[in-house]
Amino acid sequence: MVRWWKALDRVLRGEATKVSALRSGKVDLPVAGIVVLLLILAMLYGTCMGTFAILKGGEPSYQQVLASTLKVPALFFLTLVVTFPSLYVFNALVGSRLSIGAVLRLLLAAMAVTISVLASFGPITAFFSASTNTYAFMILLNVLVFAVSGTLGLLFLLRTLQRLNVAMREPVPTPAEEHVGVDKQGGERPATPSPLEPLEEEVLGRHVLILFQCWILLFGLVGAQMSWVLRPFVGNPDQPFTWFRPRQSNFFEAFFSALASLLS
Amino acid sequence: MKRILRRADDVLRGRSASNPWGLVLTCGLAYGAVMGLYEGRAWQVIFSSIKVPLLLLATFALSLPSYFVINTLMGVRSDFPEAVRAIVVSEATLTIILASLAPLTLFWYASSTGYHAAILFNGAMFAGSSLAAQIVLVRGYRPLIARSSRHRILLWTWMIIHAFVGIQMGWSLRPFIGSSGVPTQFFRRGGDENAYLLIGRMILGSWSD
Repeated sequence: MVRWWKALDRVLRGEATKVSALRSGKVDLPVAGIVVLLLILAMLYGTCMGTFAILKGGEPSYQQVLASTLKVPALFFLTLVVTFPSLYVFNALVGSRLSIGAVLRLLLAAMAVTISVLASFGPITAFFSASTNTYAFMILLNVLVFAVSGTLGLLFLLRTLQRLNVAMREPVPTPAEEHVGVDKQGGERPATPSPLEPLEEEVLGRHVLILFQCWILLFGLVGAQMSWVLRPFVGNPDQPFTWFRPRQSNFFEAFFSALASLLS
Repeated sequence: MKRILRRADDVLRGRSASNPWGLVLTCGLAYGAVMGLYEGRAWQVIFSSIKVPLLLLATFALSLPSYFVINTLMGVRSDFPEAVRAIVVSEATLTIILASLAPLTLFWYASSTGYHAAILFNGAMFAGSSLAAQIVLVRGYRPLIARSSRHRILLWTWMIIHAFVGIQMGWSLRPFIGSSGVPTQFFRRGGDENAYLLIGRMILGSWSD
């Protein structure tokens, strides 16, 4: 378990995605361990999301907390399952050298970033759940938190892809190349690399990059709609608890109607 | 007393101070007690003096996890202890400034009776002290920013997260002053409304008038 947390920490610090660490052509991480940790962290955020249902409305709905706890990890992994096969097939089609394992690890690392950021916002979400009465506000706050975490995760994905490209083209990167940032007091100080930082030289497989950009769009759309299919996450205090709601409308319509209800 | 004053002086002048949390507690208690004196109710004084440090501590504790993860992602984890130290010192500064404004608050209470005016006055004191405390925060961050410009983005991130949580925290922990006609209580029951929605509705309401 400690080893897994260390591996997650290496991903977040950017050590697992340094150019020198990517020379084997894939992100080095314990897949099963990271999946377990991501499940735990996503469930943690789900619980924070569900607290609104206990603290609000007439009867506290503990079922909603349980449902939210299970649904947040399901949201991420189902979205991955739906979008992964097409990504891999197109990836092979445009002639990328990434193997299926490498693509999977890459996506897992990006999801690790997203879910870690998400879980770290959990206390704030729980606090707002406790101190807010308005359902629409909680929806929008959760959408904002998911959007921030998702953006960071996908930014991480694109940057890591760039690094993978560099690592696979250049056989021997010198350690000095990875040191960015100069100390103002004179003399160079080896700054630790940020996993979100772009590399200066761009030697990219252009097709692969475009493919991943398209995939990010697809992932975002499927994720948004998946969250709609799996709703309710927060639990409307005016409605009885259900595991799922009937299929109607879509994510974007609901988002704008929540926004409109707040403004009216 | 003398020791506290010397420590406060160290914080304000940017010398390293030991135990800034102690300052947050003592100065926060002091201003809270003064704040609760509005109607001279003993329980309100006690509640408010607990609530001011609680407000700062809870806001800090809630904002820290996300700040930690974002710092790690930006690749500056090794500087994190120093960054937290700068933040804690700025919180201590905030309470020192508040404590120094306490006589002014007392004078205000003594010379005017309006409850809403008292709320606005205290709100202005908090806003002014928070802004002034940013001087210390920016000063503490200067060596970090010199080391890596990413700390500038992180400083803004902290200010945004902290203010977002802090405003709502201040709102949920009310009453700090205690209005006449309402019995003294630790938390105000009912109408757990969200500070941002209230502000938004006030703005929209003032438009439609």
